[in-house]
Amino acid sequence: MAVDSIPPLIGTQLNYLLSHSPSAIKVEQIWSGSKKPSLLDRFTLVIPFCLDYIKWDVIYNAMYPLAAPDIIFGPEDVSFRPFPMLGEQGDSKSAKNSLSDWNPKDPTRLLSLILELRELYMAYQRKRVGDVDDDRLKFEISTIFSREGIEMHMSSGVDKTEEVKFAVPLLDMDISKMIIGCSWRHQQKIYLQVIFPVGRKYSAPPSAPRLKLVSSPDLKALFSIEDFRLPPWLDGMCMAEYLPSLEEMLESQIRDAVSSIEVRRKFIMALPPHFGRPVEADPVFCRKATFLAASGVFIFLVHFSLPLQFPKQRPVLMLQSSQHFSSHGAPIKSSLLNEYPWSPRWEASEMAERIFNFLVEECLSFKKYCNENIVQQR
Amino acid sequence: MDDIPIQKIQISGPTLASLLQRFSSSPGDLQGLLFGHITHSTSSTLSDDTTTTTPSTSTNPSSTLIATITSFISTPSSSSFFFPSGNLNPSLHDLSSTLIGWFSGRRRTPLRLSLRESSITSSLSSNIQFSFPVQNSSQTLTLSPCLFLLLTTPFQDQVIHTHEYKAFQFRISTDSFEPKTLDVVNIGPAFGGHYGNFSPNSPFPMMACEVRGLNAMVEDGRGENDENLRRMKSFSKDQKELDLVAEGFEIGRLSQLMGPEASNYMAELEDLYNKMLAKLDGLARLVEKSSARVVEQENHNMKLRCKVAGLE
Repeated sequence: MAVDSIPPLIGTQLNYLLSHSPSAIKVEQIWSGSKKPSLLDRFTLVIPFCLDYIKWDVIYNAMYPLAAPDIIFGPEDVSFRPFPMLGEQGDSKSAKNSLSDWNPKDPTRLLSLILELRELYMAYQRKRVGDVDDDRLKFEISTIFSREGIEMHMSSGVDKTEEVKFAVPLLDMDISKMIIGCSWRHQQKIYLQVIFPVGRKYSAPPSAPRLKLVSSPDLKALFSIEDFRLPPWLDGMCMAEYLPSLEEMLESQIRDAVSSIEVRRKFIMALPPHFGRPVEADPVFCRKATFLAASGVFIFLVHFSLPLQFPKQRPVLMLQSSQHFSSHGAPIKSSLLNEYPWSPRWEASEMAERIFNFLVEECLSFKKYCNENIVQQR
Repeated sequence: MDDIPIQKIQISGPTLASLLQRFSSSPGDLQGLLFGHITHSTSSTLSDDTTTTTPSTSTNPSSTLIATITSFISTPSSSSFFFPSGNLNPSLHDLSSTLIGWFSGRRRTPLRLSLRESSITSSLSSNIQFSFPVQNSSQTLTLSPCLFLLLTTPFQDQVIHTHEYKAFQFRISTDSFEPKTLDVVNIGPAFGGHYGNFSPNSPFPMMACEVRGLNAMVEDGRGENDENLRRMKSFSKDQKELDLVAEGFEIGRLSQLMGPEASNYMAELEDLYNKMLAKLDGLARLVEKSSARVVEQENHNMKLRCKVAGLE
């Protein structure tokens, strides 16, 4: 037996889970439960839930690799007990779940078990939130009931103030369909996180909830959620009132962001007449392009990175020598260059020409800088 | 079936020690069933130790239920008792001893109930076939196997702190697990009551033998009917077994322990004891051999399991 290895049957199920999960599940740690630790048969899964993570320990038994795994939920969820048994009156059909007819050779089983449990956990949290004795919360839940995909979480603890978190998916549209050649593996979504403090009875009128926009990570290439200003939450407002105007604003900004791709593409396409064909360019979001340039015998790369606010903000340039290397063997690079003549009102061709002219001068000082660095090393 | 809170769970030192030993020597995880009894305590503070203070350690005797774990059986896989979903294996239903709960031992895991453990415990608790009467109670109370004992080891291997355990009672009424204290019973005045409550759970088998020789009045009950005949047959079978053990030292000869021949007779008796010890020794060796065979078979099984799982 190999040292510190995952038994193949468990490994295939875990790999299937990691590569096929609709939302990115991660493995936090993986360890062995055997007396002689050699076979890794238990691991902690970090599962996204309600814009946060839940950690579940999956316990296999390396001695019985054909047996179904067991799950230990987080310390806060002691009362979460899915798959309740029905005792002697419950027939086996009614207690059917992902564990009841476990097939160790089917790589999809672990994923479907985790997804089934996550659904049940969602319902469990929804019920906990529904049980909270707070009039405003009850009202909020009743008015947003028709919206799909809302996740809720009730956080409570000895040293924590009770609060209810909502993760509301916004914009019922598939952004990836708006972008040509989009390569996102998971569907990108924007969520509004709303955190309501749980009100004590007879206390002051309820304060505004804490609001935050959260987006799935890949969306950053298209749209910066940090730059979006949330509309104010007025006194006595509720989510059902707040969400439509927010979604309207977001949608128009997303459309702007999508159309700005074309502006960037135009700019990148204006560069080849001066720099030649790009070595590398981002064809989907048009945020990056790299060209090979030469000045006499000095050969170097020019990296363009285009900000989301292009053309209001100018591209950031960086030069990288193809001939000079640091003592660690890494190519010498210039600092980020963004002090050069620029106007957002210029045509793309003029922008390209001005940058080219700037670089004709700049590359000489970069060459000097490279040579100095080499000399210093000698 | 009643749902009454148990005040505490007792386990004798040797039982806990053997449970921990079994767990720490098992190659992987361990599950098993817990046997014992649940007693309605009448606060027996009787002690022959005079130093014990006032006997009025007044806990309300009307509601004091104490569970005592006396023995356990264990297997490395829960599949012998339970289906993967946590449903109980129906073949369990003809257990003779009183099942009061079960335990699970798993290495390097948090000391919290897992999905399957909570399912199994609630399934056991709600199963009416396993309900048993509470001993010593004035009313007729019955309980179900609602106890669960969880054993884990810390994440990092440690020299001193090697085990953790926690005991729970599952309450059907609230559908929740209540942590219970686990009292380790040791010898000493504090445990006088416990020893008073001792009842062996494997009683000496009933052997229907007549004490021949002492009682000459035994009549040859000539088979009036089949029932009688069968009883006679079992009588003679048991008698033969007993004779085999006594090796001619039937009870009548015990009278020779007194009087002038006693010293000769002593030597004969000692000889018998020696023979018995030799037999016991032989038995122990047989057990040892068969244990070795079991281990061998278990290792073979494990290899087969690994082969099926693609591990070699």
